[in-house]
Amino acid sequence: MTLAAAVERASLQLGAFALRDLDLALTCGEILVLLGPNGAGKSVCLEMIAGFHRPQRGRILIAGKDATRLPPERRGIGLVVQDFGLFPHLTVAGNVAFSRPGGEIAALLRQVGIGHLADRRPASLSAGEKQRTALARALAIRPALFLFDEPFSVLDARSRAGLRDELKSFLRHAGIAAIFVTHDPEDAWVLADRVAVIRDGAIIQAGAADAVFRKPANRWIAEFVGVETIVPGRIAGRAGNACRIAIGTASLLSTNAVGGGDGTVLVCVRAEEVELRRAGDDRTGEGLPGRVIAIANLGAWGRVTVDCGFALTALLTHRNIRDLRLAPGSAIVASIDPEAVHLLPLA
Amino acid sequence: MLGSLLLAFIVAPLLGLVSAQPIGSLRRVAAMADVRDAIGLSLGCAFAAALLAGVFGTPLAYLLARARFPGRDFVAAIVDLPLAVPHTVAGIALLYVFGRRGFIGGPAGRWFGLRFWGTAAGIVAAMLFVAAPYAVNAARLGFEAIDPRLERVARTLGAGPWRVLWRITLPLARRSIATGLTLTFARAISEFAAVAMLAYYPMTAPVQIYEMFLRYGLSDAAAAAVLLLAVSLGLFVLFRRLAGAGDRIGPVR
Repeated sequence: MTLAAAVERASLQLGAFALRDLDLALTCGEILVLLGPNGAGKSVCLEMIAGFHRPQRGRILIAGKDATRLPPERRGIGLVVQDFGLFPHLTVAGNVAFSRPGGEIAALLRQVGIGHLADRRPASLSAGEKQRTALARALAIRPALFLFDEPFSVLDARSRAGLRDELKSFLRHAGIAAIFVTHDPEDAWVLADRVAVIRDGAIIQAGAADAVFRKPANRWIAEFVGVETIVPGRIAGRAGNACRIAIGTASLLSTNAVGGGDGTVLVCVRAEEVELRRAGDDRTGEGLPGRVIAIANLGAWGRVTVDCGFALTALLTHRNIRDLRLAPGSAIVASIDPEAVHLLPLA
Repeated sequence: MLGSLLLAFIVAPLLGLVSAQPIGSLRRVAAMADVRDAIGLSLGCAFAAALLAGVFGTPLAYLLARARFPGRDFVAAIVDLPLAVPHTVAGIALLYVFGRRGFIGGPAGRWFGLRFWGTAAGIVAAMLFVAAPYAVNAARLGFEAIDPRLERVARTLGAGPWRVLWRITLPLARRSIATGLTLTFARAISEFAAVAMLAYYPMTAPVQIYEMFLRYGLSDAAAAAVLLLAVSLGLFVLFRRLAGAGDRIGPVR
């Protein structure tokens, strides 16, 4: 695994805002998503890597070389910004040829499938065509690293999903490492090999996308990445390799450990991990009996809130909801894989 | 509806002026050497003023649009100042600075032989003072309308700051800059008070018209006025067309 780029303990003071001791590392072809709310410092971090801010401390390595003191034009970075940032006064071909006037760009245009758009102006392109133009333009400098600064933030949900898939397969094909900045957990979920959660200028959790989403390191991250059920509980005992958690009068199993503390914990359960059955269909005897409180329509999915002694949220297909004949008041049994019951110290 | 009333208010006096002129008197005035010289001088000086406003005003406009520095609002207010000063006051102020003993006029005359009082240089200085805000403000709006992210992307594509300025920033602001210079040019041609106080001679067209009004009465002055109007309107329309065309003939690759 060769290192494509790294940020080593970089600190940057910018007016009242500060990035503190930032550490990032990308192997070749890896997609890192920098996830955080607005104002967390995601874009500033990206601008620092691109060379528009110089860190007061720390280093930035790109393609194995120290780039901390290089200007943006000598870093070999492909930058894609919000709404793709095409130059409106140039044609598609003019945009792609910006870095290499007179260079052979027809092959590049064909490579991303926009050969037929060479003479069009950006204003007349669809979002997908804009993305391809921006990618071809960045490819022209043979970048060692791609940086994406919320390119989808002005798009509607449907085109977002399509462009995200296309971008992912493009990056997989190109085999170029990329840092993608977004405030949307779904972007991160779909695109990321690894996720770094940033808040107030510091990275508060980094790891495989799956780990961050299923095992958030604290309550704030859990809420930010969309864990629907977060309730206080207490470790009541052990059962084999799992521990039994009491939540009020209810109890469930978790195979996840939690360090230290006095036995009080925060129990985190993602809604898609909750399975619902009609009361009486519970074969294991380990399920949580309860009643449906509310069913909300989320488009393709339905969000079912049940009262099992505590409020538990489940995400079901409409087909599922119909088959189970669920309605407010229905008696149900909820079951959760002990592996999916994540525990945080309650502090 | 309200807008068309305002349009009529602007057009009616000018139409009245134009329609009242018999073609014969227009032709007679157009043949007068001092009238032609005056119009030529006005155009030349206004062009020079617009050029200077572009050369010095455009970098200032970029600074005001992009840089964050203490006192930026104060600098912006200074740029607008000539719009708020009565032009007779501007003329007096310019006399103090550009006059023979003024702190610019004095040294310039002694060291470079450049005199402002009663010269074309004085006319250009007066025009520049009253008209430069139009150039700076229009260019500033043009620069502010450019997404700074475009300039950043251009940097990552291997372009240094100057190349970004030439290939991205200036082409995108070109229309605003051209509009500003056209307004500057128009404002410079129309200036009377400040020009007359700093450099009554050689006579620009407005001063010449005023002089004809005093010496020969309304009809000759009116004919000269229509002539100036026709020439400057023609140029104004031409410049607007050129500025607009920039959008379509911009560099393609």
